[in-house]
Order: sequence, then C-alpha cells, then structure tokens
Amino acid sequence: MSAKPSAALHVPSEPEGVAQRLHAMMRQRDALRPLFLATWEALSGQFDAAQLETWAGGVLELVNVNAGPACLIAYWEASRNAASTRDIAPLIGAAQIGAEICRHAGAPAATASLNALAAARRSFGGTALARWWRAMEVLAREAPESVLPAAGRMGQILLPGTIEAFEDFIAAGLRSAAGDRNRRLAFFSLQDDLARRMIARDPGGVGFPDIQAELKAFTTALWGELPLLRSMAGDSMDKPQRRSTISGPIIRLPESYRGVQGDAARALFRAATAHAQAHLVLGRARFPIGTLKPLQVALVNLIEDARVETLAMRALPGLRRLWAPYHVAMPGGVATAPVLLARLARALFDPAHIDDDGFVAKGRALFAAALPRIEDSAISREIGTLLGNDLGQMRVQFNARTYVVEPIYRDDGLGLWDFGEDAQPPDDVLDLFIDAMRVESQERADGSDQQTEPDSAEAGIGRGRPVAPDDRGMVIARYPEWDRVHGIERPDWTVVREVAAKTGDPRAIEHALDGAGAVRNRVARLVRGLRIGRTVRLKRQYDGHDLDVDAMLDAGIALRSGQEPDPRVFRSSKSMHRDLSALLLIDISQSTCDRLPSGATVLDIERLAVAVLSEAMDQLGDPFGLLAFASDGREDIRMTSIKGFDEAYDRPCRARLAGLSSGLSTRLGTALRHAGAVMATTSASRKLLIVLTDGEPSDIDMSDPLDLVEDTRRAAVNLHGRGIDAYGVVLGAAGIASAARIFGRGNTMLVHRVEDLPTRLSELYFRLARR
Amino acid sequence: MPLDAYRINSEPYYEPQAAEIDIFTAAYSERLPVMLKGPTGCGKTRFVEHMAWRLGKPLVTVAAHEDMTAADLAGRYLLEPSGTVWHDGPLTQAVRQGGICYLDEIVEARQDTTVVIHPLTDARRILPLEKHNEIVPAHAEFQLTISYNPGYQSAVKDLKESTKQRFVAIDFGYPAPSTESAIIVRESGADSALAALLVRIAERSRNLQGHGLDEGASTRMLIHTGRMVRAGLPLSAAVQAGIVLPITDNPDIRAALTDAIAACVP
Ligand SMILES: Nc1ncnc2c1ncn2[C@@H]1O[C@H](COP(=O)(O)OP(=O)(O)O)[C@@H](O)[C@H]1O
Ligand SMILES: [Mg+2]
Repeated sequence: MSAKPSAALHVPSEPEGVAQRLHAMMRQRDALRPLFLATWEALSGQFDAAQLETWAGGVLELVNVNAGPACLIAYWEASRNAASTRDIAPLIGAAQIGAEICRHAGAPAATASLNALAAARRSFGGTALARWWRAMEVLAREAPESVLPAAGRMGQILLPGTIEAFEDFIAAGLRSAAGDRNRRLAFFSLQDDLARRMIARDPGGVGFPDIQAELKAFTTALWGELPLLRSMAGDSMDKPQRRSTISGPIIRLPESYRGVQGDAARALFRAATAHAQAHLVLGRARFPIGTLKPLQVALVNLIEDARVETLAMRALPGLRRLWAPYHVAMPGGVATAPVLLARLARALFDPAHIDDDGFVAKGRALFAAALPRIEDSAISREIGTLLGNDLGQMRVQFNARTYVVEPIYRDDGLGLWDFGEDAQPPDDVLDLFIDAMRVESQERADGSDQQTEPDSAEAGIGRGRPVAPDDRGMVIARYPEWDRVHGIERPDWTVVREVAAKTGDPRAIEHALDGAGAVRNRVARLVRGLRIGRTVRLKRQYDGHDLDVDAMLDAGIALRSGQEPDPRVFRSSKSMHRDLSALLLIDISQSTCDRLPSGATVLDIERLAVAVLSEAMDQLGDPFGLLAFASDGREDIRMTSIKGFDEAYDRPCRARLAGLSSGLSTRLGTALRHAGAVMATTSASRKLLIVLTDGEPSDIDMSDPLDLVEDTRRAAVNLHGRGIDAYGVVLGAAGIASAARIFGRGNTMLVHRVEDLPTRLSELYFRLARR
Repeated sequence: MPLDAYRINSEPYYEPQAAEIDIFTAAYSERLPVMLKGPTGCGKTRFVEHMAWRLGKPLVTVAAHEDMTAADLAGRYLLEPSGTVWHDGPLTQAVRQGGICYLDEIVEARQDTTVVIHPLTDARRILPLEKHNEIVPAHAEFQLTISYNPGYQSAVKDLKESTKQRFVAIDFGYPAPSTESAIIVRESGADSALAALLVRIAERSRNLQGHGLDEGASTRMLIHTGRMVRAGLPLSAAVQAGIVLPITDNPDIRAALTDAIAACVP
C-alpha cells in the first residue's frame, strides 16, 4: 500500500480529540508520517471515528512510554495487517500491552513483541491471541531480559500450535530457571534442552509413556506373552533416531520417534514392538559371534529379521500391513552397503517387490531355498555369513560406526548375539552396536545463531551481578529427621530447595576428559564388556547341559568315603541382562574445595569422575541422574539437578557439571531421602544410588556429628527397604568410620587417594552393574 | 407327565470338547450334583440342555441374579382371593416332580440361597421348606447342576468351600480351535474360513485375559459376529460391534485389541 501525503485530506471527518493530537504530532515527524497516514487510511476504511479515536489513544500510549519509532512502525504494521478484522479491541489491547512490555523490558522488546504478533496470528486468533499477549506481558514482568530473544524466535516457539503449549512454555521457562537470569536467557533463546524439547513436542507427538499400556496389551494379545517394555534414556536431538534394542527378555524402545506424530507414531511403536517381540517369541536362539565381520553380523541380523517376520506373518498375516509401510527402499541409485541392505530387507519382506540387483537376487534365492527350514534359526547365520562375504568382495562401502538398521521399526540386532563368557569381541563388531548411536552430531540449521547468543548474554548481562535475592531456590520437599537424643522422628524437619544449576564451560569437562585418557580407555573397555549380553556359567547346579568336573570329583570322594554326595554336579549357563538405573549424589560442601598436591580441588576430581562414569552410562543406555547437594542448616538443603533421568547427557548437561562450585555443609540424611524420592520415579528393576562424599555428615546447626550419622544411617536403611541399593564412596580417610556405619561395610568404598576416584568410581559401577 | 413343559424334544446341537458327556452321564446315574466350571458363553447351558435331552429328563433352568433369594428358588406364599396359597419355586418343582435343575451362575445369588441347596447335595437329598413347614424328599429322578465362572471369583463373590466340595466338577474351557470353528459354522452359518478367522481373533482377546480383560471373547460372541457378517456387515465392523466394544471400555485395551485383531486378518 503506497502512502500518499495527501491522504490526510481524505480522512472522513477532521479528527478530533486524541486523534487530532496524534495527527498534529505526526505532522512534525517526516520520517514517520507516510506510514502513519497509510495506516490511518487503511483503518478508516474499516472503523468509525469513535473506534479510530481509541486506536489513536493506543498509539499515544506507546508514544508516552517512549517506545520509539521502530516500535510505532511495528504497531502500525500490525494494525494494517489486522485492518480486515471488524474488531478494533485486539488492536487497542496490543498497544496497551506493547506499552506495558516497553515499560518493563524496554523499547526493543516491545518492538520485537509487536513484530512477533504476525507469527502469533498465524497460529491462533481471538481469545487465544489475547492469552498470547497476556503471556508476553508476564514474561516482560518476570523475565524482562528474555522478551527479546523469545519474540525473535516466536515462529519456532509456536510450532506446537496451541496457546496452552505457549503458556506452558513460558511458565516452564520461568520455573526451571528458578530466578536465574542466565538460565532464563538460555531457555528463552532456545539454548536449553528443556526448551527445545517443549517446542519439539507438538501436541500430536506420542511418547513411550503415552502408549506403553497400549503396546503392552497389543503385544500380549498377539502372542499371549507379557512383554517387558522399557524406554531408552534420553535420545538427544543431535544423534540419529535410536532403534529399539533387545536385551535379554527386555525390549527397549525410544522415548519417542522424532518427527512422527499421532497415529503414525502409534503405528511405528506398534511395528517396533511387534518386531522385537517376534524375535523373543519365535527366535530365541542366540548366535555365537565367532569371528564374524561387522558386515556379516549386519546381514545375519537382516536374515534373522526376515525369518522371524515370515514366521510371524504366517500366524498373523495382518502384521504385513503393520510393517510394510516402512519398507521404502527402491531399486537403483548408488549401491552402498546400507542401501543394498535396505533393499534386500524389502525384497525378503515383500516377495512381489521387484529389484533386479544381483546381490539382492542372490539373497532372495538363498532365503527362498531355505524356506523349508524356516523354523531353524541356523539359516540366518548361514545365509547372512555368505552374503556378508559376497558384499565384502564387492568392495562396497560399509561403515560399522554409522550404520543404522533399516527400516526404522527394526531393532539394532544386539539381542541376537552371544558374545560368550568374558570374551572380548573385536572392536569393529562392537562399533556396529555401540557407535551407531554416536554418529557425529549433525550441524543444526540455525547453529550459528545459537552459538553466539548465550555468550553475549553472559558477557553483557550475567557478569558481576550480585547474588539473586531468590538464590535460596524453590522449596521442593520437606523430610523428617531422626532426633537421636530423644529417640523420635521429627516430621517435616528439613527443607529441600532446588537451586538452579549454574552453567560453566563444558569445555573444561571435555579437556579434563581428554587429559584422562588412560582411565577413559579402561572404562571404554568395561562399557564394551557390559554392553553386550553376557552368558554366565553357573557351577554346581541340579541340572544343566554339562557335568561340573569339580563337583563330580567331590561327589566321587563323598561316595567312596561313604558319605551322602551333593547331587548338584551340573553346570549350566544363563544370560544376563541389565535393567538398571543409577543416581549419583554428589557432595559439593565446603571441604570439596580443598586443594590436592596436583593443584586440583577435590571437586575437580569429583567432576572428572562423574564425567567419566556419565559417559560410560550414557553409552550403556542405562538411565541415570546426577544430583549435587550441600546444606546450610535444616531449613536449607540445596539440591542442584545436573541431569534428570529422562534428560540426555549432552553439552548443556556438562556445562552444568562444570558450573558446580563448593560451599556449605553436608546434611546427608536429607539428601538420601530426597534421592530416594527422585529414584522412586524410575521404573528399572534395579535402582542404584551412589553417594560421593568426602567426609561425615555435618551441618551448622548440629553440634554432635553422631546425630546426623544416625539420621543418615536410618535414611540409608529406609532406601534399602524401598529397593534402592545405596553405596557410599568416601574420599580421604576422615569419613570412613561413619560411612561404614551409614551404608554398611560392604556398601562403602574408601578412596584414599582422591586422584584415584575416577577409576575407582567407574569400577564400582561396573562391578555393581554386572550383578 | 409332570414338568412336561420342561422337556426337550429335539436334540440340542452340542459339540463335545472332551469326556464331559460320559462324566455327566455317570454323575446323573448316581444322582450326584454337578458343577460346570468355565467362562461365560462356552457352551455350559447348551451342554445341560443336550444332556437333559439325551437322558430324557425335564430341565428346569434358573438364572441366578443379585437379588435372588432362597424364596425365589424354593417358593413362597402368595395372596389369593381364597387366602394365602403356597407356590413351589422352580427348584422345589424339580425336587418334587423329578428332573434336572440347572442353577446358572449360582455365585450371583445371595449367600442364603446356596445354603438351601446343601441338604439336596448330600446323602439326605431333601429340601426343607421352613416357611411351608415341610420337608420335601427329592424325587428319584431329581438331579442338581450348577454353573460357576472361576474368572469372576472375588473375595465377596465366591462359592464357599463347603458348597464347592459337594459337586462333581466338569471344566469347560474354550473349545479347541477346530471344534470351535465347527460350532461357529453350524450356529452362525459362516463359512469355515470365516469361522477359523473368528477363532484366531478370539485367541487375541483371550491372550489378554488377566492383562486388561476379565475374560476373552466367548464362543457366543463369535457366533453373533459371524451372523452379523452373514447379514452383510463388513468383518471389521462386525468384530468391533460383536467383540471389541462389548468386551472392554478401556481405550488402551480397545485400541490394542483392535490392532491385534487386524494382525489376524490377511
Ligand atoms: N460345545 C458346543 N456345542 C455347540 N454349541 C456351542 C458349544 N459351545 C458353545 N456353543 C454355542 O455358544 C453359545 C453360548 O453357549 P452357552 O451354552 O449359552 O454358554 P454358557 O452357558 O457357558 O454361558 C450357544 O448358544 C451355542 O450356540
Ligand atoms: Mg530385528
């Protein structure tokens, strides 16, 4: 719309009152006038003089708070865009709230908000739009610094598409930052993981918890066996979509399938579960890994998939409709190994599918020839090995590290293999399973934008700020405490507050890890050893596949000496699987800032130890949480969550770990009770709590240390009662006596030399996880 | 002949599952009370009808319900113009005149009703009518049969041990697939392919018994579904109306069952 200066002459009636004043004002402003008049003209066509009068009042309100030209232009633009609506009220509201935002957060924030209005209008109108404005106003009041970054990303933030989601988003950002301005900035500029997850989780998204009950019933109905379903710990956005995986009798499914929504997500979950359960019901045999190459392993998996699906579809032909939509590989194109594998998978699944490739045809022929023996899982190993050889000779590219099984509903195949007792399979084979999940992070589209924002924010606003007044944090729980002298439990005696984690530089952690190469390598080996399902041999059994020679000898001796022989003369084996979640409770009290001879503080070493173990647990896929604590009297036990069970272990998480600082005391009993409450939310069958502490419990308001020791002991006993195994890892010699009292001698590990902690902590975990 | 109205004149179709006909025949010849155990709709009623026909005895059937009292079984005084007149209840009729009395789902009835049958189920074979001040000795041809659904048992609604132990029991599971198919073909007029498919569908629901469903689809439901298909309804709609919707109100289970059923359909 072109602005003609003469437009003012066409104004129906010479404006009076407020409008007149506004017109007079604009006559002085050459730069603004044309746009103003264009807007006035557009509105005049739609609204009567009285309405225009109120609109002019809105503009003046913006003028009165010094909103500045950019803001006025933004408002006029928003007004012109809304001119087709018959209702002036929303426009007036926009000016009023715009002025309000300007008052709290400044003119640029108000301008950005008015500009963001376009995105909001695209998502919703009417009352929802009014709610959007109100939420923006709340944001301006509670987090003035965050209006600008949030408004600039409104399109992204509104992706979920409902006003409720937006209100949730604002509320969650304010809540999770708990008064910390930097965390708010990180959240509203979408640096924060939670923020990203909230906008990624559109209302059509289906997560494992939403569908778990249905999946369980579905699979039970199919085969009459109750499946053991678990979700996998946080799948971070920068890795390829994780596939399901089978470990022992447990089927692990992704928390969600990214970018798949509603019924499509439900269908995919069902397809994945039905496939995995088909393995468990129809093909329990496990293949010895032997000396197979990664490509052969991948092909054996593929043939076994085809075998169990063929069997499953014989009994339940409709399963074909469930799986078919995911087989989309087409003939032609570049024939890399993953492509050929996907094509072969489709060809075996759908006999009618046409693919003339020689390799695919050969796979088909071998599989068809083996159909009479379809019940025998040995055909999978035979055919897969053969085809793997062929493909190897074709010199097509195959990278075990980046390979992910296709189609998406199939499991990663790990559950099919028997790696033998203690045997260490070749690393390249393990890559197939482990590293597939760790493909290099993909560049995010808006990566640059995200990189610069927080730095400037931290430098400009965050530095040197005095401690925020609400630094004591939000009260999240109260717990009882044991009064040793009076022999009673005092209800609601201690107060736990959540203190938002400060973020440090994640590179500090990464450098420390780089410097700890030896420890890391050892732990990496341990991970490999544990990641694979193991078979353990059981001696002296009543029944088994083998005779136990030692037991036989003993029995022989007993017989000859006329005694009753022990009938347990067999050996058997059973496969082990883990269903474990762990919480690391980290003591960051004042004493952890003691310096070691190396110059590092105790906390530095704790941090490194936690980082090493976290890396391992992440690779294992064991759900884990990291929680730091310190206390300042019974009214102020501070908990800092570094990582929640359902959060991914990613950079922001390491930044929080790096941001930990020492201070205050150690009210361990309350910390244990809280850890118990946190662990109660996980569903694993084994729950492990490892407490990292450097001394005995103490607090400023407690004079006799024995009081807290006794309280802590009771808290630990209570954890055991709730099925949580609690272990104390004690640094230095000071706390060993009380730690043994608290956790029991067998559940206490003393680390004399603090520098040994990283190794010892990981070793402890692996020892416990093996059980 | 007494109880003529209760005689069954043409053979009720019954497909035997196991040795139940021999067991019942033997029990009847010794006039032992019989308990038919099993889920609903698996042929218990049809079986008794068949046996009554086979043995040539009248069959008095009483379906128990929550409000049923001992008087509903034994009888009561009714007010008539001439004064109060005693009316034998259905059980008393069978006891007096000889025949098979079938008490369907006896657990449903109030506790005092089960006590009424106790003297009939041991060596005494009598029915005391306290209100009428009479003790009715059982007719030589009288026999008592009850049905009992173990799937429904709960702390409040279960047969007392002292009651259970008086009966010879016959277990009615769901028939074997081929038997059940044959029943469906015969009773609904479905062709054998459809009948076999319905049995496979039923198996999906029966897998969920105890895992979201109290009970799987009954043979009766399959017959109904088959008849609706015969009447021209598409299979999926018939299955939904005849099986899924009646069987559960839980949306998760409904969705899961619908999908599992879809997996049976080629
Ligand atoms: N063994 C069987 N032979 C013939 N029909 C059967 C058999 N089992 C079940 N049916 C069919 O199923 C229907 C329901 O059985 P019914 O005897 O009423 O069940 P219940 O008494 O166990 O609840 C019957 O009407 C009959 O059509
Ligand atoms: Mg598989």
